[in-house]
Amino acid sequence: MAALLSETETQILPEAVLEEIPVRRGRGWVRSLDIYIPGVFLLALLFVCFIWPYLYTIPPPVGGSILDAGLPVGSPGHIFGTTAVGNDVMSRLIYGGRTSFEIVFAVQGLGLAVGGLIGVMAAMMRGVAETVAMRLLDVIIAFPAFVLVVVIVLGLGASEINLIWALAVISVPTFARVARAGAVTVRERTYVVAAELSGSKRWQIALRHVVPNIITSLLTFAVLGAGVVVILEATVSYFGYGIPPPGPSWGNMIATGQTTMSARPSLLLIPCITLLITVIALNTLSEGMRRRWGAVR
Amino acid sequence: MIAPSRGAGGNDPSRAAGGDKGDGSGLRWWAAFSSSPTLRLVVRRILVAIPVMVGVTFLTAVLLNLLPGDAASALLGADATPQEVHQLYLKLHLNEPFFVRYWQWIVGVFHGHLGASLQNGQPVAQIIGQRLPITFELIVFASIVMLLISIPLAMLCARRPGGVVDRITMVLSMGFLSVPQFVLGLIFVLVFAVIFRVFPALGYTPITQSVGENLRDFTLPAFSIALPLAGFYVRLLRADLIEQMESQDYVVTARAKGFGSWYILTRHAFRNSLIGFVTIFGLNVATLFAYTVIVEEIFGLPGLGYALINGVGDRDAPLVQGIVLVLAGIVVIVNLLTDLTYGVIDPRVRYGRSAV
Repeated sequence: MAALLSETETQILPEAVLEEIPVRRGRGWVRSLDIYIPGVFLLALLFVCFIWPYLYTIPPPVGGSILDAGLPVGSPGHIFGTTAVGNDVMSRLIYGGRTSFEIVFAVQGLGLAVGGLIGVMAAMMRGVAETVAMRLLDVIIAFPAFVLVVVIVLGLGASEINLIWALAVISVPTFARVARAGAVTVRERTYVVAAELSGSKRWQIALRHVVPNIITSLLTFAVLGAGVVVILEATVSYFGYGIPPPGPSWGNMIATGQTTMSARPSLLLIPCITLLITVIALNTLSEGMRRRWGAVR
Repeated sequence: MIAPSRGAGGNDPSRAAGGDKGDGSGLRWWAAFSSSPTLRLVVRRILVAIPVMVGVTFLTAVLLNLLPGDAASALLGADATPQEVHQLYLKLHLNEPFFVRYWQWIVGVFHGHLGASLQNGQPVAQIIGQRLPITFELIVFASIVMLLISIPLAMLCARRPGGVVDRITMVLSMGFLSVPQFVLGLIFVLVFAVIFRVFPALGYTPITQSVGENLRDFTLPAFSIALPLAGFYVRLLRADLIEQMESQDYVVTARAKGFGSWYILTRHAFRNSLIGFVTIFGLNVATLFAYTVIVEEIFGLPGLGYALINGVGDRDAPLVQGIVLVLAGIVVIVNLLTDLTYGVIDPRVRYGRSAV
């Protein structure tokens, strides 16, 4: 998406794109509404996806009865209706969201840990190692993300765990780039020079000074990238390369909804809108975080 | 900064190529060449690009080779007997070692042959020739729509930051920035093809057959790409324009001379913001191509992206490598054009000292 712009839009996303109107109104918590609203919404979504199924009986996402097939929106017991084979749409949405969030957490977690490590190490080592590492990662970033993910998933076979590996190949280099950019500015600060002069080891400087200074910008970037990962996952699943069809995923719900678009647009629109709102929430949250903590410059 | 002697040495091969007509004209050519920094930049960039492009195709070949399955079994499908698969395997020369196959292909490329598709023996150059114009039209159409939306909107926003237009645009652009192309494409199909039947959902009419039909076919795909991009570029340009208007000395000077803010915005700030805009746009061309892959697939446009994905599915190495080569070439050319436009936009950067 645009974020894809990302292609992964993660790609070259200048900070300017996320900067909002500088006008500030209200005080106290009102000032942080741009973090609270999307944050609370996302927490609610996580709650519904991961905890709600344990508190309340919902129909299974697969293996629904053919007798329940094609129920319209608002049917008793099936708020969003059922699919052409009788699966509950609400339940598929919940379990699909669970898949999406699992993938996002895994991919961004890997990106943050591995990519952050590579970026900080590159910045601390300087010289040839830094240049070589960053140029290699640039090659991956320059490749169209969607095509790369599809090729990797085709190679490994379509499944959730393979999708995570494929998406991590995209997220690790982008995290590394952001981490290095942040670390490079920190390593020139006087307190780092002072630490060097006083004999601190490089790894100590990295842990004590560099990481705490860049962690907020990395987290902000992780939230921003999460939107991209959600979109990429949905796109790949939509084209049938991701989560294999009986398994629930927003992407393949959209793909099946497309086939009955004229008769039952709700099957297409419900997952589309859920996906869209989730991505907007992630992007808005990231924007709020950036405004609050700023980026390392 | 590159010393003239070094630049000249590096460009010797091109000199030999251009100086065939005899000593006098060769020298004149060389004089023109060495006195034009722009020309030198172009030639140097193209020479540097050749190994990069070879590297990209080699990487592609390696990746493709790592995928399980091969072209023979992919083409014959699951029903074929092992004998049939083996015969096709031999016929396609898949039994030869990977490096031999790649070497033959790349040598062919330097002789001007992109090879033939494993699928049906059609020359790859011909396939690309048929499909590239479609992708190209899609990208150009989408870019024009994107520019027509984002530039005026960004200016309106920057004129009164925090005003009504600005706030509405910022909210809407966040929405469009967040919508995946395929979702937007499907919603367009639902609204404009299924409910209102204004545009076709699928299909492609060659531009030679009917220009109107062709544009109708491209409208929904182009907007599916353009709107999310416009959301991105509006924000980018707006932020840059506001920064120019607030912090630049030339704006203060222009204001002191009594120019209106709209005049300053369009004549001074916009021209300066354009550099950042063009840079990001140039860098994002590869990404733009990823969107065309998605959108071509949804709207059934027989473009290059469509061919690429199918080629990967069929393990059609010559086709995939050929397409990747062409795309890498396009990215190189676009980046070069981006650098050259700096000189057009900003007279301070006419190439010479700070080139590359």
